[in-house]
Amino acid sequence: MRVVEDDERAGEVTDVDRDRNLHREQHGEQVRPTDESGRPAVPIRHPLPLLESLFSDHLDPGYQAAADRRAAGRPTSPSTGRRSRTLAYLLAGLVVVGLVLGIAAASTENQAAGTDQARAGLLQDIDNAQLKQSQLAAVQTSLAGQIRSAQASLGAGGPLQTIRQLEVQGGITALTGPGLTVIIDGSTANSGAGVILDRDVQLLVNGLWAAGAEAVAIGGVRLGTTSAIRQAGGAILVDNRPVFWPISIQAIGDPSSLHVRFVDTVGFGRFQTFVSLYGIRFDLAAQTQLTLPAGGAPALQYASAQPSPAPSSSH
Amino acid sequence: MYAAAALIIGVAVGLFLHPTVPDWLGPYLPIAVIAALDAVFGGIRASLAKIFDAKVFVISFIANVLVAGFIVFLGDQLGVGSQLSTAVVVVLGIRIFGNAAAIRRHIFKA
Repeated sequence: MRVVEDDERAGEVTDVDRDRNLHREQHGEQVRPTDESGRPAVPIRHPLPLLESLFSDHLDPGYQAAADRRAAGRPTSPSTGRRSRTLAYLLAGLVVVGLVLGIAAASTENQAAGTDQARAGLLQDIDNAQLKQSQLAAVQTSLAGQIRSAQASLGAGGPLQTIRQLEVQGGITALTGPGLTVIIDGSTANSGAGVILDRDVQLLVNGLWAAGAEAVAIGGVRLGTTSAIRQAGGAILVDNRPVFWPISIQAIGDPSSLHVRFVDTVGFGRFQTFVSLYGIRFDLAAQTQLTLPAGGAPALQYASAQPSPAPSSSH
Repeated sequence: MYAAAALIIGVAVGLFLHPTVPDWLGPYLPIAVIAALDAVFGGIRASLAKIFDAKVFVISFIANVLVAGFIVFLGDQLGVGSQLSTAVVVVLGIRIFGNAAAIRRHIFKA
């Protein structure tokens, strides 16, 4: 009913009038039309468009309504004890509001503390594990040295010589000799990080092997027969141990022929392209004396030698 | 005076008792916080405009928390819970900023 009437009225008034009415209503002044009997009608609020009301009606309409009721002299509750009841309402409400805020703050703090603690604990665990790993590696090296010296003191013969040779070939002893050092650094790339991927390093190392390298170590990790070069995020993992930029790759072999043949490989060409395209660091240097650390022997869990070994023909 | 004291008491109790929030209540805590802030700013603005009413304050706060929580709960059941909680935060956030601006205009006349 009212809507129809309003529409009729709107047809008569000018746009300017309508805007003025709207403006007054937004400021809480009600346009109170009278109905047929002359009594002031219940004030109607023209519903504003949703977004407009979202940006203009910030105060809860309940306050205005309550104030209107009070102004109209229609107390909603008996005035006896009204003040104290109001105060009780207010205090209870505010305590609840404070509780909500306090609980939220406390739980956020708890969570943050827990996250920090977990993170610190994990970092500590990683440090401990790395420390233990390097300690165990040192123990392994020294024990291997003891074994060799004990074997030598027992009398070095042909079999021991063979064992030593096999160990060298298997990559489980430290080696020394002339060779090449290749230093790559992807962190200097001028167009984003992560230019160098694990497969690039693999290609480079394969090129070194193909060029005649006899032993290769990447970032201090010796490559064995089952070594893997992988990537986890932006980090390069060699045998599951992270190596950091700049990565130095050491290869033992005849420096000059190694250099000549290495330059011919696909890996070298790819890295030369990277240098010109992305500005990575890629240095090649011949060394007269390189020392490569011992590598870990593959841990055999399921494989074992044949019960009656066939006499080997290579002696 | 009393009001500020009550608010501070509530915050202190919440901070020092360290009540553990049950997991199912976790998603609704941010909504309750936003509704609480909205209620506080609305109340301050209303009292500056001399139309403050304690009953309206308490009932609008509790009803807002319940309705917002229910809407988000419904959204959770329908798979749009996070979107609806964003909607609640946006709407109440706009109200908070609007009321804060009105308070600022009232106090600084600028």
